[in-house]
Amino acid sequence: MNPPDGNAAGADGIPATPGLNNLMEKLQPLIDNGRLDNLVDLLSLVSDTVDLLDAAMVEKLAQLFENGTAAIWTVSNAVRVAKAEVSAQSSAPGILALLKLLNEEDTRKGVAVALKTLNVIGRQL
Amino acid sequence: MSKRIVIVGGGVGGTMLANQLVGKLYPEVLRGDITITLLSNSPDHYYKPAFMYVAFNQFFAEELKRPERSLLRPEITFAVEDVTRFEFPAQSLQTRSGKRYSYDFLVIATGCVPAPERIEGLQEAGDHFYQYEPARQLAQRLSTIKKGRIFITVSFPQTPNVPHQCGIAPVETTLMLDDFLRRRGVRDHVEIVYTYPTVAQLLRNCLFLQRPTGNVLPAIFEQKNILYQRGFTLSHVDADQKIAYSAEGDAQPFDILMATPPIRAVDAVLQSGASQAPNNEGWLPTHHETLQVYGLENVYVIGDTVDLPVSKAGGACHNQAPVIANNIAGEIRLGSTVSVYDGRVQAVAQMGLNAGMPLWYDYAHDVLPTPPTKLGGLLRNGFNRGLYWAVARGML
Repeated sequence: MNPPDGNAAGADGIPATPGLNNLMEKLQPLIDNGRLDNLVDLLSLVSDTVDLLDAAMVEKLAQLFENGTAAIWTVSNAVRVAKAEVSAQSSAPGILALLKLLNEEDTRKGVAVALKTLNVIGRQL
Repeated sequence: MSKRIVIVGGGVGGTMLANQLVGKLYPEVLRGDITITLLSNSPDHYYKPAFMYVAFNQFFAEELKRPERSLLRPEITFAVEDVTRFEFPAQSLQTRSGKRYSYDFLVIATGCVPAPERIEGLQEAGDHFYQYEPARQLAQRLSTIKKGRIFITVSFPQTPNVPHQCGIAPVETTLMLDDFLRRRGVRDHVEIVYTYPTVAQLLRNCLFLQRPTGNVLPAIFEQKNILYQRGFTLSHVDADQKIAYSAEGDAQPFDILMATPPIRAVDAVLQSGASQAPNNEGWLPTHHETLQVYGLENVYVIGDTVDLPVSKAGGACHNQAPVIANNIAGEIRLGSTVSVYDGRVQAVAQMGLNAGMPLWYDYAHDVLPTPPTKLGGLLRNGFNRGLYWAVARGML
């Protein structure tokens, strides 16, 4: 049966509103070259991923995020402050000044962390 | 002479604001023209919304806290101090350890304290989920009850138009309770009764403090066979007989009384003389847009201690913090405040053990409830388990 003029749809009884006509016109290039198929498949994949997600998976992802961001944040904060403090000095520290810095309690703690890190890596080799 | 910004309180409001202030005022911080100090009465930071999950055995104590120092940028001076007295005219404060801290700008982020002792019999006979130990006690009871009646009440502060802690929590915990008891296989033998007081901020005789959400609750409750009752304002509890009495003259028996208790500001704020709130509740008179404290110079307030009608929840702090950071920066750099808080609060409500409902509202708009979804629940879980700490650090 022939749909009346001005209606793009109609064959399956879907009402051809102006909104639907516009949408179909917009999608037509995608449909023509088979590009819409990928988009539909992508949506399906997103939906399937949501199905696969459960509380335990989200907890793992959240901890991954937290561990990663906390480590980067802590280290980049430290670098920022260190740069600022060194830049604020009018000249580069001499060797004696560096040794004095090395001997400071906080520096020794930091050096111990760095060394322990290497130690733990070594344990796993 | 460097300007000293002091933040009192290491909860989510104080923590995120301290971190944001460092970022906002970094040039001054680098030059040493500004110092930022945070004082907390605890070395640990607690993710308080997790206590609600503790009541259903869903969260361990070890998972819901971090050292406060690990959440603060290194430029912030952090000290574990219990502030005992605010001396506003002198712009200083005293701590329990005997120290005095002077400030040029002060932010009060001290939160609020549950006060079940303010209702006769409630401390002895009631349970709540707003602190760890009470939540553990509630968890023991919910895990063992096999039949009976769980009666839910909500108490608002007596200060007009001030909410209790986390407005959506009573609904969340009621729906979580329903799921929990079904999971245990005892739901058919345990009656759940959700009640709401006559006065809920500006509303009367409703089931929730905002009308659109209140309107959808009956359908949700009926579908789960949760009984509900309007107009029950808890006035006292007979702890021996386990009967809850209302100001309206009702008397209801219970086996477990899951009650959102009265709340108040912390002692130091109560005693500061800055509050105009009745009933010795201590809420500070807050400019609803700039978040300054009325009547005081250079003092701001964030989070639960305000006397504003918005939720006492992290979702409010999240939007208040950038405003306060901008305003303190504006006052330092330009001599005036520059930012305005629009009352915005957002959260993902835990509507049952697995479903979540993102929500937001502000001074001009109420929450538009939407169907809770599994994806919303996963988002909430992701927030509980990791995203929150990034928010506390000022990253999100």
